[in-house]
Amino acid sequence: METDFRGLIRTLSQAGVEFIVVGGAAATGHGSARLTSDLDIVYRRTAENISRLVSTLAPLNPYLRGAPPGLPFSWSDETIRKGLNFTLVTSLGALDLLGEITGGGYYEDILPHSLTLTLHESECLCLGIEWLIRVKRAAGRPKDFEAIAELEAILDEQRQS
Amino acid sequence: MFETATELEPDPVIEAYKKDVDRTLIRENLRLTVEQRFENLERLQEFANEMRRAVASAEKRNRGD
Repeated sequence: METDFRGLIRTLSQAGVEFIVVGGAAATGHGSARLTSDLDIVYRRTAENISRLVSTLAPLNPYLRGAPPGLPFSWSDETIRKGLNFTLVTSLGALDLLGEITGGGYYEDILPHSLTLTLHESECLCLGIEWLIRVKRAAGRPKDFEAIAELEAILDEQRQS
Repeated sequence: MFETATELEPDPVIEAYKKDVDRTLIRENLRLTVEQRFENLERLQEFANEMRRAVASAEKRNRGD
């Protein structure tokens, strides 16, 4: 199943959910040509935002990605409050909800390092390229080396233009 | 936990990977709007999934299933 990146972003932003796009989709926003399959977002962990997130995503039938059907997974404010990071599949595709990211922290920590992306039907916050690089470096995963190299090359190109 | 907004120090491993980055693709993407970049990503994802399905189907035929 393909992920409708713009559909997910539009759904969340139009509902007023406070979130910041990070990961591969943020890299796409900055000009990356690499393929990514899921939308990663850092969401604000206030009671009000969690409630808005839960009610907005409920019609999209969120479920734990890769988990066998029939698990006692309840999509609720309580589930989100008790957990932190969730890898989900929804009817609009794969969505990772991150309460915190390595090297970046919580929503409030990365908010000053984010910028507003304007899409056709919506706007959203996206982690700035320098912090995207810092976060990926902090994760220290060999699979990210090529992605970091591309982001640093994009930064070079932006500074030269 | 948080770094201050200092310049990113070059990492020798990443520098080695940077030599293989196709900058022509980056320059093309930087000329696009954010909306167009996401359109390309969604088309690429659709194509990748189509290719995976085609390969799986061809392998199945070759096995005589």
